[in-house]
Amino acid sequence: MNKIAKLFVTFISAITLALVSFTSSFAKVEGEYIVLGSAISLTGKYSSNGVHTQNGYNMAVDRINKMGGVEVQGKKYKFEIIYYDDESNPKRAAQLAERLIKQDGVHYMLGPYSSGLTKAIAPVTEKYKIPMVEANGASRSLFTKGYKYLFAVLSPANQYLEVAIDLAVEKNGGKGVKIAQAFEQDAFSQDVRLGILDAAKRTGSEIIIDDKLPKELNDMAATLAKVKAVKPDVLVVSGHTKGALTAIRQISEMKVDVPMLAMTHCDAAKLSKQHGKKSEFALCASQWHKNLSYKDKFFGSGKKYAKDFQKEFGYDPPYQSAESSAALLVFKDAFERANSFDRDAVRDALVDTEMQTFYGNIKFGPGGQNVAKPMILFQVRCKGDDCENRVVAPTKWASDKFYHPIPKWSDRS
Amino acid sequence: MEKVKQKDLILYSGLIILGLAAPYLFSAFKVQLTYLCVLIVLAMTWNLQGGEMGYNTFGNILFYGLGMYLTASIQVGMFFPLAEWTESGGEKTFVHTTSQYFQGIGVGLLVSAIVPAIIAGAIGYAILGLRGHYFAICTLGLGIAAGEIAGGIEIIGAGQGFTTPPFPAEIVDTEARGKFFYFLSFALLVGTFMFVKYIYGSRFRLILNAIRDNEDKAEAMGIQTMKYKIVGWMCSAFFCGLAGGIMGGLIGYIDSTDVAFDGREMGVFMVLMAILGGKGTLWGPVIGATLFHFFKEGLWTLILGWQYVALGVLIVVIVVYFPEGLMGWLREKYPERFGEVIDEKDRKAQVELK
Repeated sequence: MNKIAKLFVTFISAITLALVSFTSSFAKVEGEYIVLGSAISLTGKYSSNGVHTQNGYNMAVDRINKMGGVEVQGKKYKFEIIYYDDESNPKRAAQLAERLIKQDGVHYMLGPYSSGLTKAIAPVTEKYKIPMVEANGASRSLFTKGYKYLFAVLSPANQYLEVAIDLAVEKNGGKGVKIAQAFEQDAFSQDVRLGILDAAKRTGSEIIIDDKLPKELNDMAATLAKVKAVKPDVLVVSGHTKGALTAIRQISEMKVDVPMLAMTHCDAAKLSKQHGKKSEFALCASQWHKNLSYKDKFFGSGKKYAKDFQKEFGYDPPYQSAESSAALLVFKDAFERANSFDRDAVRDALVDTEMQTFYGNIKFGPGGQNVAKPMILFQVRCKGDDCENRVVAPTKWASDKFYHPIPKWSDRS
Repeated sequence: MEKVKQKDLILYSGLIILGLAAPYLFSAFKVQLTYLCVLIVLAMTWNLQGGEMGYNTFGNILFYGLGMYLTASIQVGMFFPLAEWTESGGEKTFVHTTSQYFQGIGVGLLVSAIVPAIIAGAIGYAILGLRGHYFAICTLGLGIAAGEIAGGIEIIGAGQGFTTPPFPAEIVDTEARGKFFYFLSFALLVGTFMFVKYIYGSRFRLILNAIRDNEDKAEAMGIQTMKYKIVGWMCSAFFCGLAGGIMGGLIGYIDSTDVAFDGREMGVFMVLMAILGGKGTLWGPVIGATLFHFFKEGLWTLILGWQYVALGVLIVVIVVYFPEGLMGWLREKYPERFGEVIDEKDRKAQVELK
């Protein structure tokens, strides 16, 4: 027994030595590189959106570096990102944030994908006073915790589908509507739900189905069966990419007729490509659409961004990629205005951010959320077998009229 | 005999000094070291069931998650209305003062040890009559059910998750939080180890072993097996609850299925670590957890995207080549070092018989 214990001690000391020699960490700024850190979901339930996020980051890093980089105190620097895979798990994300900061010496962070993971990382970055610009954590509760180093380029989650309810009420002649809703059990989707609850209260609408869906969302037939029975005016579904795909698949299989279907994550799920005509008329909340008229000097317009992105990665950029790219633009702008690598100077510069990017205007509210950019709604519309997302609200950018109500399945070819 | 004890003393004091010095020696690795302590605790307590008693449980994650929610709820609930803290959206901001924070976590940890132990007693009374894989499957269900239930309870944040109180802002030292949680988990590790070591020298262990080797015979010998099985499980739950409470505070965010009742990861890891090191031994789970943690932290990021494949391969390799774990393998190779004497004559006789 004792020899074994000795062996164990030897083993521990060997590891100890290895660790000590390994602790030579990176610096926040290495040579000509500004090192940013990010934990991204490359595996697990958020892996597809995690990759969209990473592509967005990479695209912006390449572009900014190519166009001269970041100028601080007269010297040009380039961005570099250290990635880790958080496995879509908050526990892992918090641990990796700690690792990025303590072991890799990262002084500036980019956000992960999803509100839940951002919630797990924010306490860590806050503790070490590390500015984090995040592009994929929209949960409202992120912005009410008094975080000082958290900046989000996107609109809060509760705003996602409020507009849709307003639209439904408008179509109903200003009278309240009957809402059926089903949301995944996660921080983001539950916040979207809160937005709907608020909107329902405001418009005097009634919620007749209020279901919770499991996290690995592959089946919502029970909810849809109820919808078939009680015939609501609006069906609202939110559950990230899987939620959107599952909803369309089962609605078309079960031939569920609802006058209006409002969802999130349609573009990330590539609904119009994957499900084609089956997804027609679905109404989707989005942070961004390529047809919007915002511009910046790095990516040009949204359309140009979409084209370049398509060339680079082979698919149309969902808003998750666009907002991720925008996060880098915000960082660049803040570094240049701070003209320093001091974390607090950068943080103060971030507070004063007021800029336009191809993704939209960015200005941070007191909680760190972006207050300068509205949400948009688009509807999937098809010409023949070719389906596309068309912006229908707000009217300023609407390219198409909102089609209402959705024809019955029996009338759809 | 005296001599061996002295050696033990040197070993243990060496390890304790190493443990106490670790956060200063490897300041950057504090969080990983904290994880390591917690992982060892989980592996050791699992070993009490799976290794000593022969009851392979997947349910210990239940106590871990329970401890996590309890500690956080009490830490908040003692000073602020819990419902408003966890309310989705959470419009109000509450801030713990330094003394509130530590009082809260102290009381919380106490409760998170006792309540899971009581619950283990109650559940154990109901299901410890099951044996073998029936018990394993039943406990697997416990963890999953708990996760789904917790995901529906509004007062602990439901699907939104529960942000645990941030470390008091009045403590300016950014290292303080890491040190606090490290020493807390290290104390837990030492406590658990001493307890398990005590059990190893007691009649209680022999009874657990008797249950593992032949429960019917043990019963026939007049041992009230049910009673001992329940007490054994309660002991595990006690330490699992504490481990969960510490982890909740460290992670800072509790999600029902991904962090608290995380059977897919923690629940499997604790079994894996104990088996890797060698179940049914005192040092096995410690070595298993340490190796596993280093494997995970070291290799995980090098093979981005393939880490779970590597983990799967690791499981297969362990089960195929080290079915008795590292300690079991060493024991077979160097039995004399474990104090086992091989009677050469007897061995030869057996070989000839075959």
